[in-house]
Amino acid sequence: MAELDETGRKLTLKLVYYGPALSGKTTNLMRLHDLLFPDLKGEIMALETQNDRTLFFDLLPLGFRTHADFLIKLKIYTVPGQVVHDSTRKAVLSRADGVVFVADSQLSQGVNNAESFQNLEENVRRVGLDFDTLPIVVQFNKRDLPNILSEEEIRRRWSAAPWTLVMASALTGAGVRETFVKLLEAAYPIMDKNFSLGDAHAMDMQSFINAVTGESIGKTD
Amino acid sequence: MEKRTDAYDRALSLRELFSGVMPDKLSAALTVLLGAPTRVVSADGAWVMGNIPPLSGNIRQVPLSHDLEIVGHLETSTNDEARVRAIEEILGSLMRSGARYFMASEMHIKVVQTDYEELQRKHAELSISEARYKALAENLEQRVKEQVQTIESAHLQLYQAEKMASVGQLASGVAHEINNPIGFIRSNLSTAQFYVQKFRSVAEQVASSGNSTLLAAWQTADLDFVLKDFPSLLQESVEGADRVARIVSDLKKFSTVDQSEDEIVDLNDNIRSACNVAASQINSHAELKLTLGELPPLLCKAGHLNQAFLNLLLNAVQAMEERGEIRIQSGVENNQIVIRISDTGRGISPEVLPRIFDPFYTTRDVGSGTGLGLTVCRDIFTAHGGNIEVESKLNVGTTFTIHLPLKREKP
Repeated sequence: MAELDETGRKLTLKLVYYGPALSGKTTNLMRLHDLLFPDLKGEIMALETQNDRTLFFDLLPLGFRTHADFLIKLKIYTVPGQVVHDSTRKAVLSRADGVVFVADSQLSQGVNNAESFQNLEENVRRVGLDFDTLPIVVQFNKRDLPNILSEEEIRRRWSAAPWTLVMASALTGAGVRETFVKLLEAAYPIMDKNFSLGDAHAMDMQSFINAVTGESIGKTD
Repeated sequence: MEKRTDAYDRALSLRELFSGVMPDKLSAALTVLLGAPTRVVSADGAWVMGNIPPLSGNIRQVPLSHDLEIVGHLETSTNDEARVRAIEEILGSLMRSGARYFMASEMHIKVVQTDYEELQRKHAELSISEARYKALAENLEQRVKEQVQTIESAHLQLYQAEKMASVGQLASGVAHEINNPIGFIRSNLSTAQFYVQKFRSVAEQVASSGNSTLLAAWQTADLDFVLKDFPSLLQESVEGADRVARIVSDLKKFSTVDQSEDEIVDLNDNIRSACNVAASQINSHAELKLTLGELPPLLCKAGHLNQAFLNLLLNAVQAMEERGEIRIQSGVENNQIVIRISDTGRGISPEVLPRIFDPFYTTRDVGSGTGLGLTVCRDIFTAHGGNIEVESKLNVGTTFTIHLPLKREKP
């Protein structure tokens, strides 16, 4: 859950990129670092092994100050996708305010995607979050590769699911920002309800998204 | 609210961020690099790297940021902007490196702890399941032994029953074969008795005829004696034939072991029939006293009950060390048929008593008994919904009490 620090005048949100190994979670984070221009942007902290596989997590801190000089921080994490790191995934996932599930579009990855999504559902429940209300966006990554599931097929398969689907290619940056904005859109109503962003901070959804992405008011894409 | 955050996720103080460096040496190096007195102070002023006292003179404060927030200041009197930027960069890198170590170690601790708890939980589960399997394995041998014993005893009982059935078949065959000749022997003996009567009527006429030749021949052949003795000979033969017929009838009745159909009988008849079959052995060892009360007709496997009664009777006979008494009582008590078979034999010792119904338990010499007699008896009464109890006193005697329900529950 988001952290509200009244004395430090600070609100911290936690967003998590989840998904099977090598589906492009860290690449998403690196593109976000390049594509977003909030007032405050930290460096990516990567806790990886020598062969660039995420060991514990990657972290991208973003933030901005409201008109009333209230600091809103977003901590964007990736989990390690490899199956063995389940305890780490659970720890990273705990108290998340929103999740992007990064699926691998390649035909060969269907089983890995399904197992990872099931693992997400289990871990969400284990860390005490509500899977039915947790904001989730599903990104199908690697659209630039051959031998991938068609978008039509993906949308047909996921037609019964309630989550927003975004096609992306993290390597080229396509869909990365859109995915993130969809997650902000899903997460904002809950934040607003809990911390009255609109009333107390004069921050409606559009201005919240603009502040995080660094867009000028009235332009989102 | 801050303390609710996971350890790896929490805001770090300047002191924590610099926990990997030697404060004295870094402070000294900063002073050398900037060419002027320099110190690093936390945002709230509570922590000073290397405990350097406040600087005097024209001091500028450069904010140090970590994780989007100002965590401290670089205080220095230099005006060399380029050097200050460079130092700011170096300190930023050191802090990121410190934070990276801090977060990694906190995450490591958390993961190890979670995994350890999971391992302990699994270990506990495994211990329980191991204990269960151990207990199973320990019992297994015992249970296999019991099963084998059950199968063996069932097998031997079946064998015994088969044996009894074939003996029964043989007996009923023999009985059938004897029945016919004994029938005409008996009939002919009656006719012969009638004929002897006729001879008698002639005898008086011969005596009063005065024919001396005839009288002499009569006397020489001693026909007076013959006529006197003949009827009693025939009468004895008739009795003998009747006895044979009765034994045959009992044998027939008794040999219905192979008939597994239920029939309605008066159990007193079955007891008498068993007594007749065992009569010769009973008579040579004991007096038999029957006190048979009136019994309602009982639906049962009569052949099996006969076999059980005979077994008990023969046991009673064998218990006799000197000539004694065997008593059989029957009657109805508490809506049950109760039959008591008592003997004045040597009795059964208290050690042996609890085991007498066990299969293969025998006190007789090896080869002289299978040790199944009483087991079979008990099974027969149990199969009829009843039971058998035993009381015994050494050198006084033994009483078997049989209870049978008037109406058998359908199994």
